[in-house]
Amino acid sequence: MYLSINIDIPDGAGDAYGALAHTADRVEAAKADFAILARAHGDQGLAPPRVEPVVSLPWIAGRLRTPLVVAAIPALHSVPFHIARALSAADFLTDGRCGWLPLLAAGARFDAAYGPAHHLPASEALAKYDDFIRATRALWDSWDDDALIIDQAAGAYLDSAKVRRVDYRGPYFAAMGPLNAARPPQGHPLLLRDLDEGTDSATAADVVLGGLDRLARAPKGSVRLLKVAAASLDDGLRHVRDGLADGLHLMGPDALELLENLRGWVECPPYVGATARERLGLRKPVNPYSRKGAA
Amino acid sequence: MSRNNGRLHLWAFLQGIGFFPGGWRAPDATPRAVFQRDYYERIARLVDDACFDAIVFGDQLQGRDAAGRTPGRLAIPTLDPFTLLSVMAGVTRHVGLVATVSTTFNEPAEVAAKFAALNLVSQGRAGWNIVTTVHPNSPWNFGAADLLEKSLRYDRAKAFVDAAEVFWRDAAGLDNPQRAEGLQNRWFDIASTLDFPTSPQYRPVLVQAGQSPDGRNFAAQTAEAIFCPAPTLEAGRDYRDDIRERARGFGRNPDGILIMPGLAFVLGSTEAEAQRKHALMLELADDALCIEYLSESIGYDLTRHPAGGPIPLEQICAECEFPAGDVRRMLAPAAEAGESIADFCRTYARKPRGHAIFVGTPEQLADRMESWIDAGACDGFTLQPGYMPTELELFCAHVAPLLQARGLLRRQYQGTTLRDHLAVGVGT
Repeated sequence: MYLSINIDIPDGAGDAYGALAHTADRVEAAKADFAILARAHGDQGLAPPRVEPVVSLPWIAGRLRTPLVVAAIPALHSVPFHIARALSAADFLTDGRCGWLPLLAAGARFDAAYGPAHHLPASEALAKYDDFIRATRALWDSWDDDALIIDQAAGAYLDSAKVRRVDYRGPYFAAMGPLNAARPPQGHPLLLRDLDEGTDSATAADVVLGGLDRLARAPKGSVRLLKVAAASLDDGLRHVRDGLADGLHLMGPDALELLENLRGWVECPPYVGATARERLGLRKPVNPYSRKGAA
Repeated sequence: MSRNNGRLHLWAFLQGIGFFPGGWRAPDATPRAVFQRDYYERIARLVDDACFDAIVFGDQLQGRDAAGRTPGRLAIPTLDPFTLLSVMAGVTRHVGLVATVSTTFNEPAEVAAKFAALNLVSQGRAGWNIVTTVHPNSPWNFGAADLLEKSLRYDRAKAFVDAAEVFWRDAAGLDNPQRAEGLQNRWFDIASTLDFPTSPQYRPVLVQAGQSPDGRNFAAQTAEAIFCPAPTLEAGRDYRDDIRERARGFGRNPDGILIMPGLAFVLGSTEAEAQRKHALMLELADDALCIEYLSESIGYDLTRHPAGGPIPLEQICAECEFPAGDVRRMLAPAAEAGESIADFCRTYARKPRGHAIFVGTPEQLADRMESWIDAGACDGFTLQPGYMPTELELFCAHVAPLLQARGLLRRQYQGTTLRDHLAVGVGT
């Protein structure tokens, strides 16, 4: 059974740095399987964290040597090129241990801060969300896994035939590529999705979070994390035992204490491999642009 | 400026595998390590121990291809600067961390939040090298056809920095008389700021690299430190005098702006040894590498043509992705003189990016740095190791102690924030 938890700076923390470092150290000590840089709304809702997640992830991954580390990203306010570039580096520097959780809803404050150019009719939000993920993945696929050669004596750094312009054109995003970053060790960093935002995305996520009814409609093969708080913990444990979920995502004001208590008797899964995908038994995504036998 | 803080400021520009395009091939270079966390942690500690002011990473918003062909002999890619600096923040206590970020293909909210995060995890050591993006292929990655015209890019950059300032001041609970104009102007229409947490120095130190008149004015108005090329002491002094004069014109104290020209270096225990190493750097950049290097710089794939053949000037100017006028100015003299493609490319790759290159002993490098400071040619240097990590290690072991013995470089940090190290005051 996987144990997952949010990390963020609590509202009103006097010493934001100290609070973040302390939380991270407790999550590491309790050996969470997933640490998601996200802000909680009540017992169910997720939003981007107060501390910008893409920049803070590499730092926090230095303190979190055990969990997979995930950034909750405002999908409708982010740019595929920047996300693809940063998460490629993050995946390399965490040995393939990072993930991303694009969120549809970022909150009214984000909408106000980004201005009217980012406003979108609610009916289009999901289309833009899917386009954002496709564009970002296309940029990761602008490099083949084996593009780098790095033979110093021969002077061969990479195989030019294995890096390309992908010329991605979607309804909301266009990106020529190639990305100025190699394909990440996982191929694509682990993709998480909050099913409580709606289940009808065209994008199948590697890991899904949500309530029980939502998880029942999760795509086949995805790792299912059931959102629970203190009051719903016993039900949650029963659902995991009954095979309705693969783990618990702990929410609410007592989430950290719940994690520490659970780790008192919930054994860590027997991980094989280093990357997030290897640990979870998920395959590396095929690169649709890759040509077999490129010289 | 505190005497204990030293008269000379040092930044380490640690892009990729170092300054020379062929440097990654040196036997003691570690080109695979640049994809590993340990490497960044180790070099960050090295620079922190040597009491540098800051570590700087550049950035681009495009792949390194020329007309669709990515070079096979150049050491690319480089990793995202925020990611590298965030890792480095975790293993250092003092050294500043400067990320290059464009004001053209970003939004103020996002950039303000990112620097707030870097400033938070480093406890007040973030710096922002503000660029406006000049590469013709960059817009294609953002669904745009063309770059903004240059004066518009700087107009946007100024408005962008003003808007970001409002985000940081709001987060820190500071007054801001220009708040309304900062959020609503001809470039931005921002209703409110984000609630990210603040941290020491409240915002990153602002760094710029302006060269054109528009760029220099922007730098003189905005920057607390400037990264620039200065091939000679005289060029450095002229540039510094010009920026200081412009700063006075904007009502700023010129001592609030540090001029930090680039300085690449190759060190040897004797001058002859350093020369041999420099010759090796040039030799490792073979013809095929040099041709790819120029191809990337003009956005035209020269590998299509015979290396020993003439420069096809008209075809290049008709098809290149960079502005044809600039490319013609660069290539026409060589083309008319009948130089081959390989000959020109070899010469071009000898002096990458117009920065000064020092080749010699640690003593000679310390002398040179001291003479530039004494002549008012700069406030310090943005050091670019010839290749990594060897040249950086040599500098930290052999040059930094000489500078400290001469009272030029601090022996220990006098504060904890990047603004403390630069001693440029509390910001605007």
